[in-house]
Amino acid sequence: MEQAEMYGRRGCQLVKELASAEPGQLTRFNDDLFNQVIKECNVHYSQFYELTRKMQEEGLDVQFTRNADHFGMLIHHLSLLRNKRCLMAYMYKRADILRSLSWKVGRVLPPEIEGKLSDIEKHYFKNHASALQCYMREMDCLDLTVDMVPPKDPYIKVRVLEDIGVTAIGDKDTNLACHSIHFLKCTEAEPYIMQGMMEELVG
Amino acid sequence: MTTASEDESAPSRIDEEDESLKLESDVELLKRAWQNEKGAPEILEYQSALVRRTSQQIHLMEDLIEELTKRGDDPLIVSIYQMDLDRTQFLLRSYLRIRLQKIEAAMLHVAKTDLWNRLSRQEHNFAQRCIEDMGSHMDESVLSKLPSGYQSNLKQSNASDEDDMVPEPNLNTFVFCKRQNSIGAIPLDDSGDEIVDLVAGTHVCFSYIFGLLLHVCALFSKPEDGGHC
Repeated sequence: MEQAEMYGRRGCQLVKELASAEPGQLTRFNDDLFNQVIKECNVHYSQFYELTRKMQEEGLDVQFTRNADHFGMLIHHLSLLRNKRCLMAYMYKRADILRSLSWKVGRVLPPEIEGKLSDIEKHYFKNHASALQCYMREMDCLDLTVDMVPPKDPYIKVRVLEDIGVTAIGDKDTNLACHSIHFLKCTEAEPYIMQGMMEELVG
Repeated sequence: MTTASEDESAPSRIDEEDESLKLESDVELLKRAWQNEKGAPEILEYQSALVRRTSQQIHLMEDLIEELTKRGDDPLIVSIYQMDLDRTQFLLRSYLRIRLQKIEAAMLHVAKTDLWNRLSRQEHNFAQRCIEDMGSHMDESVLSKLPSGYQSNLKQSNASDEDDMVPEPNLNTFVFCKRQNSIGAIPLDDSGDEIVDLVAGTHVCFSYIFGLLLHVCALFSKPEDGGHC
């Protein structure tokens, strides 16, 4: 005998995975589970359609008749809706995290995050980063991704954590070699600090 | 005793002081706009004239600092001007950033309601792009794979009467406010047992939507009446 399948269990698992992740952190895109939920939606729809056809063949008014088949259709419809909401919540919440990342890391995703995304999500991230860049260009190239905390000192002492090499900082070239210490403007150092390539030296 | 060079530089020093005084009052306005935007759950009216003036003044300050640095003026004075500039830039960036993040969080809701009229032209373009990007993202990942009748981004299914999948900001979140004018005693419930006396300068905390109602009452009541609503 077939074991009764709990409708919406997989959709619930998908959402639970999202809820149990660290806030602001992404888990690996669960391709397998995601596709299973989509498949379940299509199964619900074909069974819904079967019941509609059956009622029509019996000469019953599909919209107003209240029999077992009607309530079966209702359950399939509501289960489909629930799965749809779970799928969209999963994608939407992940997109939310991607949007907040584009404020922090700019246009280039760190490889350890990129590995967790689906191809569609990588495409979305690029699009959103581009939309932000467009806005900033329209606002006279005002960079909104810096100055994330209120300014305390105009200059901060930083240690370079990765070998960045010779880069133009302000109006002169500076050699940002690994372990070198520099005295930079907050807004100049901020993008590097956000990406983990520099750390602020306090005290 | 003044020398000729000091006489020549005296008018430009007064101009600089005027500039920094003007900057201060616009900074106060910007700070208030920033605080309001930070506290309110929905997007507020765009302060386009203020943003334009602040941007112009930021450019002027940058030029002034460059000139003072070239002239070899006291580094302490230059760094004070620099800190003032940094503070203003932070306020402007944060103000615009908070607004964009509110648009990102409720893009469909903003586009469907009169909140759309509170956006600047550049924000309209940004919101439009956000909606298109999110729409195609949902389409490609979920909606196109679902059966027909369930493919809408806005409605759960064709059976829905209205757009029931549009997230909205929660207007019941609590906000801290400071009264600028007195509007007298306001009853908090129908029995009138609990009242709050809103005197100028007091700090109060209530839900944003209650605050909006009070604001409307204040527009229609005179302070000397004690304004009940």
